[in-house]
Amino acid sequence: MSTFHLKISTPDGLAFDGKVERLRVRMIDGDVCLLAHHTDYVSAVGAGEAAIVTADGQTKSAACIGGMLAMIHNEANLIATTFEWADDIDLERAKRAKEKAEARIAAAKNDDKELMLASAKLQRALVRIHVKH
Amino acid sequence: MAGASMKDIKLRIRSVESTMQITKAMELVASSKLRKAKERQERSRPYFTGLKETLIEIESNSSDFVSPYQKKREVKKRCLIMIAGDRGLAGGYNSNIIKAVTEKMQDGMPVCILPIGKRAVDFCARKGVEILTTEFAEAGCISIPDCFTISNLVTQGYLSGQFDEVSIIYTQFVSMLTQTPKAESLLPLKAEGSRKQRESHTLVLYEPSPEEVYDAIVPGYIAGMIYGAMCESVASEQGARRTAMDAASKNAAEMIEDLSLRYNRARQGAITQEITEIVAGAEH
Repeated sequence: MSTFHLKISTPDGLAFDGKVERLRVRMIDGDVCLLAHHTDYVSAVGAGEAAIVTADGQTKSAACIGGMLAMIHNEANLIATTFEWADDIDLERAKRAKEKAEARIAAAKNDDKELMLASAKLQRALVRIHVKH
Repeated sequence: MAGASMKDIKLRIRSVESTMQITKAMELVASSKLRKAKERQERSRPYFTGLKETLIEIESNSSDFVSPYQKKREVKKRCLIMIAGDRGLAGGYNSNIIKAVTEKMQDGMPVCILPIGKRAVDFCARKGVEILTTEFAEAGCISIPDCFTISNLVTQGYLSGQFDEVSIIYTQFVSMLTQTPKAESLLPLKAEGSRKQRESHTLVLYEPSPEEVYDAIVPGYIAGMIYGAMCESVASEQGARRTAMDAASKNAAEMIEDLSLRYNRARQGAITQEITEIVAGAEH
């Protein structure tokens, strides 16, 4: 199967740089799967699981939250706010974060700002837990 | 009498020596922290330049495009993000930032401040200005997720009309010896002057729409600006501290030299006196 070049950059540095067969990412309007020679495409990343199939047929999945994905001239550039390979996710920490966020939401009630912050945290924790399983 | 003063001088030399040890250690720590801050900023650069390029591309490719982040509106209230340090002993680092903020506030426009760093929080409390949040009182441990939280706070506040302009005031790291306070406007986004007409990607498919992509990545971009300013400020703080500590170490060395001279003189004086006394006693 033909492959294309994928670069994944995060604020912490480069997470991946190499040839892949397939890339699947959760965008703001649903899952998208890119294959080689996709038309030029730019979209914003939502929150969910991302998976790549590398040139040697291995599948790797990761938690991918926020940012954008651009495919220009058969070069994909995934710029993710959070990108953690499933192997690197700390399940215990994500579970703790989930509990903490739930407690914050329960305590926030009418404080919109607090509610917004806490629900964003909860969503991140849930994505991590989901990817790890 | 001479002995007592000798003892005093010796004690002082010892205390100055230990002070010098501390200032030297602080200088070294500042150097290594500075290097780390620079490295962190370097690592995050591809991420933020990528977002920035896309923003500019969307802006220049779609002529009829409007985004609430970009539209200018009458400024009734402004929001300042102020980045200062947590601790003193960093030369003019904190006072320069405070000066810059005071200057910015002089036109009497209502402001609210989001202070980052203990010194910034203290300043706002003293001045009695409206504070957006004090959650980020420790500048030293602001991480990337924190920057996203700050970015979400200000973009939400901006969109809901809580304020009509957002600027960030931080210290630019010019060189090891020079750090200058700088104010940069974040929102409304200005179409960057250098609209380099790259190979135009007019046929790019934006999903769901250019506007939605644009609006979705703006908070990330703002967070990047904040993170960049944060790293730059931390580097500046360490740079300023390094310079201050370097000067302090030099002063201490000078003092030790001066005190050793005095100590030797006193010792010499005591010996001379003793000899004179012995000789005088023998003559009788």
